Amino acid sequence: MNGEFSSLVPFFGFFAILLFVIGLYCVVMSRNFIRVLIGLEILTKGVTLLIIAAGYLTGKVALAQTLAITLIVLEVVVVAVAAGIVIAVYRRNNSLDVTQLRKLKG
Amino acid sequence: MKEAMNLPNQLILLPLLAVVVVNLPLGLRWAAMLGGVFFSIYQMWTMVFLPPLETGFFDLQIDGLSRVLLLSIGLVAFVSILAARGTIRDKRERFYFYNLVLLAMVGMNGLVMVRDLFSLYVFIEITSVASFILIALRRELDGLEGAFKYLIMSAVATAMMLSAVALLLLATGETSFAKVAEQMRLGGSGLPVLAAGLFVAGLLIKAGSVPFHGWLPDAYMAAPNAASILLGGIVTKTTGVYALIRLMQDGMFGTGMSPVLLLAGAVSIVAGALAALGQRDFKRMLAYSSISQVGYIVLSLGTGTALGVVGAVFHLFNHAVFKSLLFVNATAVEDRAGTRDMNQLGGLAARMPVTGFASVVALLSTAGVPPLAGFWSKLVIIVALYKSGHPVYAAVAVLASLLTLAYFLSMQRRVFFGKLREGLEGVKEAGWYVLVPTLALTLITMGVGVLIPWMFGSFVLPMEKF
Repeated sequence: MNGEFSSLVPFFGFFAILLFVIGLYCVVMSRNFIRVLIGLEILTKGVTLLIIAAGYLTGKVALAQTLAITLIVLEVVVVAVAAGIVIAVYRRNNSLDVTQLRKLKG
Repeated sequence: MKEAMNLPNQLILLPLLAVVVVNLPLGLRWAAMLGGVFFSIYQMWTMVFLPPLETGFFDLQIDGLSRVLLLSIGLVAFVSILAARGTIRDKRERFYFYNLVLLAMVGMNGLVMVRDLFSLYVFIEITSVASFILIALRRELDGLEGAFKYLIMSAVATAMMLSAVALLLLATGETSFAKVAEQMRLGGSGLPVLAAGLFVAGLLIKAGSVPFHGWLPDAYMAAPNAASILLGGIVTKTTGVYALIRLMQDGMFGTGMSPVLLLAGAVSIVAGALAALGQRDFKRMLAYSSISQVGYIVLSLGTGTALGVVGAVFHLFNHAVFKSLLFVNATAVEDRAGTRDMNQLGGLAARMPVTGFASVVALLSTAGVPPLAGFWSKLVIIVALYKSGHPVYAAVAVLASLLTLAYFLSMQRRVFFGKLREGLEGVKEAGWYVLVPTLALTLITMGVGVLIPWMFGSFVLPMEKF
């Protein structure tokens, strides 16, 4: 653990946690479907940053890049499915309000 | 070339190939169901008879634990495909269903064979995406709501798990299970503990354990019946619980997570059972029962002993069998009587004798009544808890069995026993596509229970040797 390592951990850590918190806040507090999806994206971006930073700091850049690219592809698949669901909900409900989706209870 | 098609690779590539071939414009759409049925039977066959030794792509390996899981995956997928043939009327929907089940099988088969944290994430995601679409398949508002809730919770869980992977990469510079575990044993605190906490929380969300269970009843209830069988029987158990078992087994987290798992397990058992008592909807009750049973598995895992792991895996297998059976029964009831509301049902055992009997067998197995399969796995769990010095948790596990029996007997009385409700006189026994899985699962539940002296030596204990 050299000097550069220990000084960079808080730097990357701060921004990763910041992105993570913004994303989570966006997912939990938004009332609009599209905003929830954007929140998910921000959340995942924080994680991607963390992976890249981890690869850089441990000297395994190639491994981290592979992981990040795979992550981006999979995230697109998830968001595409989510967008499909949102479109179907919009067609039924004619509204993008998350709070209207509260039928299932018990 | 011969190596490229060894068993681990086959289990990933064959279903993928089947999906590609039936979707090409060759007029082979009718073959989707046959492909699914043959592949799931092939998977069960190889898991029962072949000694699994080979290593596939990405370091895929089959060991005792994977073998049990692969067997359960084959079984539940087989049941779910047949039930879909019997209950989904729309031809296009049915075709999509078979494809998605095959894709979910690709994900789950890969998931139980990988030896690397990042590949684990990739296969979890494949399975989850297939299940989101399965839940939303009918494009009704209920299904869409269930799928969206599952998707959001699952995406947050994924983010937590990936942060944990990044932290482990930072702490150890590796992602393969063996190497990370080796580095973790050399010592380390702070970062690895945070990583373990994040990872376990993510997996508990995926497994639907209390306090992260909010999405699970909605998703199970809103899904098409045949998809509920797959989800309740195996999907959440592989993506959440199996991954937890594997990581604990490989010593990734040390023993620091044991108290958390014990507490989460015990709370899940009691809360799930209490919530199940108050349900009117057949499938929603089964979903809460699922939460309660997952609690047993997590509790057993929390002991951190070899016997605890055996109990967890054995209960996971039994749960796959009896919970699929109960969901098949719910499918048969809704298909014939037209409702899942238990207050509007009654006396169906007279009209549907096979389903009624199978339901009794499944509920007694779930509640842990000897000599059915569920009794033996619960016995292993309770012994493991007692031996590892947790008599209070063992007592909770025993007493919660009474709660289980209570809500299931209430279900049985309201749906199958008593006088036949008006308007249900015309109900007939379910068709063969539903009856064959019902009978097969009933026989397995009884067979595992009765043949336990033979099973225990050849099937249950080898799971311990990893």
